[in-house]
Amino acid sequence: MSETATKRIALDRSSREGAPQGTPSAARAKPRRSVSDRLFAIWGILVLLFLFAPIIVILVYSFNTGRLLIAFDGFGIDPFLTILNKPAIQNAVWVSIRSGVLSALFATSIGTLAGVAMARRPGKWVGWFLAVLVLVTVTPEIVDAVSLLPWVVFLGQDLGITIFNDGIFRLVVGNSLFSIAVVSYIVRARLVGISESLEEASADLYAPPLRTFWRITLPLAMPAVLAGGLLSFTLSLDNTIISSFVSVSGTTPWPVYVLSAVRSGLRPEIASVSTLMLIVTLLSLVLVAWVLKRSGDSATEIARTMAGS
Amino acid sequence: MPKLRLPKATLALPAWVWLLAFFAAPVGLIIWYSFGYKPSIFGTHANDILSLDRYAEALSPTFFSTFSNTLWVGVVGTLACLIIGMPVAYWMAVKVPVAKRGLLIAAIMIPFWTNFLVRTIGWQIILAPQGWLSQGLQAVGILDGPLEILYSRSAVLIGVIYNYLPLMILPLFVAFDRVGEPLREASKDLGAGRLQTFLRVTIPLARPGIIAGLLLVYIPLMGDYITATVLGGAKGNMAGQLVAAQFQSAQNWALGSAMAVILILTILLSAAVLGLIIWLATLPFRSHYRLRLGAEA
Repeated sequence: MSETATKRIALDRSSREGAPQGTPSAARAKPRRSVSDRLFAIWGILVLLFLFAPIIVILVYSFNTGRLLIAFDGFGIDPFLTILNKPAIQNAVWVSIRSGVLSALFATSIGTLAGVAMARRPGKWVGWFLAVLVLVTVTPEIVDAVSLLPWVVFLGQDLGITIFNDGIFRLVVGNSLFSIAVVSYIVRARLVGISESLEEASADLYAPPLRTFWRITLPLAMPAVLAGGLLSFTLSLDNTIISSFVSVSGTTPWPVYVLSAVRSGLRPEIASVSTLMLIVTLLSLVLVAWVLKRSGDSATEIARTMAGS
Repeated sequence: MPKLRLPKATLALPAWVWLLAFFAAPVGLIIWYSFGYKPSIFGTHANDILSLDRYAEALSPTFFSTFSNTLWVGVVGTLACLIIGMPVAYWMAVKVPVAKRGLLIAAIMIPFWTNFLVRTIGWQIILAPQGWLSQGLQAVGILDGPLEILYSRSAVLIGVIYNYLPLMILPLFVAFDRVGEPLREASKDLGAGRLQTFLRVTIPLARPGIIAGLLLVYIPLMGDYITATVLGGAKGNMAGQLVAAQFQSAQNWALGSAMAVILILTILLSAAVLGLIIWLATLPFRSHYRLRLGAEA
């Protein structure tokens, strides 16, 4: 192999690895990392530190043996043990998990159907439906919250539809709005990118529409469905504002418990539970990323899917 | 065999019904309430006399100052997210080797998916006058006394920038990534410098991502009430808290509804004005020739 050829391969590789300078001549003329590249890297790392700072603080303070969260006393696992003697905390976490799972299942089901319909039955209605989804996504949570409260009170007490007095059901309703929008976007985005030929082939081979849906469309959409489902679960676990308005005493979800503790005084157990829940969230995110990666998405596509765009 | 041909939108029907029942109907209800009044100490709302009085009440000086405060935090916070986030997104999309990008994206997303409230409490600990940041700054000699930032508008600003920054970085990253190396190289081959390439090629092509990022940050930020509750104290009130208080403590649903409607209108109007300003500001960089990236999804 000639020297120039080797050099070209080396340059090729460096440009594929994202070497900063575009043209080969620039790469040869300048050192590999310019000042501006270093500045970019320093800025990026500083911002990452900024993003992680409060999370690290919470992780550390979850081992605070003091009485108040904010005053660090000593290092120990006492706050984790305290959780065991606090039924209110356990109940709150359990309410969050139950309503999260239910909202995720529910939002994923009807969001998937809507996403499939948008991708496979395009028409004028899709524009209208997307407009509603956009409205749902851009309406500030506080507005959803204050409008849902009188509405569920009206349905439950004035009209006497008793299910609206059920705490878990109210939370599921509150969590579902945003989740449905997210799942619909993701499923639609995935199916729009896949040609309908397989479904047509299935219909040509005499499969009834329902079977085509179960055996062809749904498996094709599956990575998006799973990603959407896990996203709705984490979104529901995180839902504070709507939950704090619609929740009924006795079924207080975890974030609402924390919010009331902000007013009455934060204790270290709050951080400990948060640490445990962070681990759960991270595991589910790793699962989403793994599922997406197996279905062949690149890092960028994963980011797009998970950011819901 | 009989072919069952369903109407086009049938599969979307459950979602339609659900969103109409629990999004459109409740929002319609509070718009209706906003024209009513609070009948008595124990009543929350009444609609037998309709008027615009609640809107006038919501815009009285005390409330108005909170609204303008919210607008200030919203605009400054969103622009700060753009200024902080853009170099990060550009770095991730252009400078970082492809193999390491996945890890960085994950790193950006982890805080994004950690409980919002808990992250904000983390800032409460960091910014506390007796906290380690305060003590550290005093030890180094930057500060003479304890850090006096908690429970102020600055603390709220730090909190919202922190909470919404990932929502800015991700769409910007996707946008910069889509522009791609070949176009930047072509620009440089045609004699453009780095800054010129950035301003005339990268930015115009990444515009949809920039707009998405601005909206994704600005809209929830304007409605935020958690950050202000945890970090703002009495001085850092935001409009979301006012709305919440009318429903939770004052039990004046009519006034709260009017405030909520004003909040939505403020967000929509100010987003439109912001968009117009940005459009005007970028006019000089606009080229006569429009290059469109392949439209996906």
